[in-house]
Amino acid sequence: MKDTGIKNLGSENSSQQHNHNEDQQYAQNEDRDRTGVAAQPDLFDLTRLRLSQDFAAEIGVKKALLTVPVHRPDRQWFVRVHPDPEFRLEAAVLEMKDDRETYLVDPVLLPEPPGEVIPKVLFTAINRQGVVFLWPVHLPNTDGRHDEWNRSALEAAEMAIGCWIRVASNISLGAYEVFEASADLPDPKWPDVSFKKLLEIAFRDRLIRSLDHAVIKKLQGAL
Amino acid sequence: MRFGSVDFKEVWFGDFEFAASAGDRPQPVCLVAHELSTGRSVRLFQEQFRHLKEPPYSIASDSLFVAYYASAELGCHLALGWALPANVIDLYVEFRGLTNGSETPAGAGLLGALIYFGHDVMEGIEKEKMRQLALRGGEYTDTERQALLAYCESDVMALRKLINQMLPALNIHHALLRGRFMKAVAHMEHTGVPIDAESFVLLKENWDHIQDQLIRRVDADYGVFEGRTFKSDQFARWLLENNIPWPQLQSGRLALDDDTFREMEHVHPKIRPLRQLRVSLSQMRLADLAVGPDRRNRTLLSPFRARTGRNQPSNTAFIFGPAVWLRCLIQPMFMMGIGYADWCQREFGIAAALSGDEAMQAAYLSGDPYLAFAKQAGAAPPDATKASHSQIREQFKACALAVQYGMEAESLARRIGQPVWQARQLLRLHHETYEKFWKWSDAAVDYAMLNGRLHTVFGWVIRVGAQTNPRMLRNFPMQANGSEMLRLACCLATERGIRVCAPIHDALLIESPLERLELEVARTQEAMAEASRAVLDGFELRTEAKLFRYPERFADERGAAMWNTVWQIIEEIRGRAACA
Repeated sequence: MKDTGIKNLGSENSSQQHNHNEDQQYAQNEDRDRTGVAAQPDLFDLTRLRLSQDFAAEIGVKKALLTVPVHRPDRQWFVRVHPDPEFRLEAAVLEMKDDRETYLVDPVLLPEPPGEVIPKVLFTAINRQGVVFLWPVHLPNTDGRHDEWNRSALEAAEMAIGCWIRVASNISLGAYEVFEASADLPDPKWPDVSFKKLLEIAFRDRLIRSLDHAVIKKLQGAL
Repeated sequence: MRFGSVDFKEVWFGDFEFAASAGDRPQPVCLVAHELSTGRSVRLFQEQFRHLKEPPYSIASDSLFVAYYASAELGCHLALGWALPANVIDLYVEFRGLTNGSETPAGAGLLGALIYFGHDVMEGIEKEKMRQLALRGGEYTDTERQALLAYCESDVMALRKLINQMLPALNIHHALLRGRFMKAVAHMEHTGVPIDAESFVLLKENWDHIQDQLIRRVDADYGVFEGRTFKSDQFARWLLENNIPWPQLQSGRLALDDDTFREMEHVHPKIRPLRQLRVSLSQMRLADLAVGPDRRNRTLLSPFRARTGRNQPSNTAFIFGPAVWLRCLIQPMFMMGIGYADWCQREFGIAAALSGDEAMQAAYLSGDPYLAFAKQAGAAPPDATKASHSQIREQFKACALAVQYGMEAESLARRIGQPVWQARQLLRLHHETYEKFWKWSDAAVDYAMLNGRLHTVFGWVIRVGAQTNPRMLRNFPMQANGSEMLRLACCLATERGIRVCAPIHDALLIESPLERLELEVARTQEAMAEASRAVLDGFELRTEAKLFRYPERFADERGAAMWNTVWQIIEEIRGRAACA
């Protein structure tokens, strides 16, 4: 062949290898089935010609979990809560309303900074699009009192363990309303990640372990 | 001779030169064949082989026949009354497959393939001269005969060169399966589609007058034509009067392409006659519709021309190409009937089966996947019916179809005539309801991007190039496996002696004597069911069929109104001719 600079299919090694392997596989199958010397292989045995369409199994691409938001469910979302008690945590959190960010506070710092840190339970939740998030819900006060908003949120989270629900605030009612999906929806597929890992991802940059943390300084007016 | 893992006793390269007028069967002029291992050659002119009962080369099950665009050679076999070779490899098809998605600087013809592999080739002008000489037919001088045989032989020897370079990259078993389809193509092109030739001639002869009359009658409801010119400002006024929002180009002008019209006619059916009129005026060249002297429409089915492996026959030469209403010209011959069998919701079924999404499979098996989708998503109660929830069903149907074509929310919103947020909501419900399908679909795109290729169940490959559109890759498994299914159904049907007139995307048109019509249609449907099981690993797709008995003509409800209008005009012409 002249060197014309035109691409030669013969150089498509991966393609050749691919087809060579398929041919070999077919030949082996044929050899196994041959019962006599003169047996003519069925060149059109469709079950043997069939290639897999399970692309995921062949490439092994897995979605990496890099972000775990911490917030209550969007009012349009249908959500479920992880049924395993290991996937929830009663924690001290600090919410910066202006920045819409939630910080996890190391309990050793409590009761500092006074009045800002709130006890909440962090539920592992997931929506129908497969977005995993931590749903913080107020725990009752030390005197056991719980306002309607927090009480209804806690009940909603508990309900979401067993069914798909949507949670929407109703100002007139002064509480969250819960809507249960009537369709027969499949259970969610939880990511193969430990709760510890979820916490690490969620609070990677929002963990307060000392009173020197910039957020504490800001609250103290020191920044 | 060992080809991959297959032994062949003889491997014959073959080529015919033939004469053919539009719509007619080929008339072989000369033939050259060459055997690979012995170097034996056969060079014959028409009078030397016309009387033969079988080809002068082996077509037995231990032999292989290799050609370039084999359906032409196999069509010559059928024209001569010869049996077809048991095993065929078509190097055109294999070249298309090996370069599918890549650049081929000189096209996919034999010259293109030779240039691609760096061979010296005959000048294109010289080749065209020889081709025209063969097509001319009639008597040939000795010089012309020698020139044609030499030309034919050069093509055959080119196959030898090509096979050496292509063989290492071929999967022989898949290539043989594709070659098997080329035999079916030869059968279907040989059979052709029966046409009401009298009406066709009337249409063709009076087309100018009919066009003017069509404009006058159809445009009476719109007022958007001046003479034969479509006036966009008048169309804009009509849209305003009818309160129809219309997509615009970035320039602010109305989008007037046929895709937009097609999309809009779904939401506003009153657009349909106008769209059909525009298509009839702009795309239809009746003189190009290939109807042979035996009143049959025949044209190259152009197999494997599309990236998905689909057939892509000429839009103007094929009866299923131009405006839908023209299909009413299809009419079975006397004492014959035709059957049109198509798969129901084929792409939805393929997606459900190949992705293994149980919810999607259940929706398909319910018989009405669109209503089932609405129920699964909680938008319709379990006891909903097509009648009780028609609007919801239409929206979920549009969404399911939109997903297959990679449509996004804006286009879907236009299609369903609803706000974009509602279209987004529908697409979101699809993601939620068919989660497994979406994972599989994402994996298919990932696989293609990682490996630079994506394949069907029987090895038709698309290569990922710089210009590859991810939306096309996502759609490829449905479209290309659908194409595999159609090919296999064509093979099974023609091999079982069913007279298949043409394949049409997801359907087969067959003909049969009236007394056997129902049986033959049932056999066709069985072949289609079998093909679906083979492609989908046991999952069977439903088919439905329409039967038309002579003198009934083929009917497509989308084109019925337009056909009736055209027919009225023809009747008037006939009436005037009778009076005169």
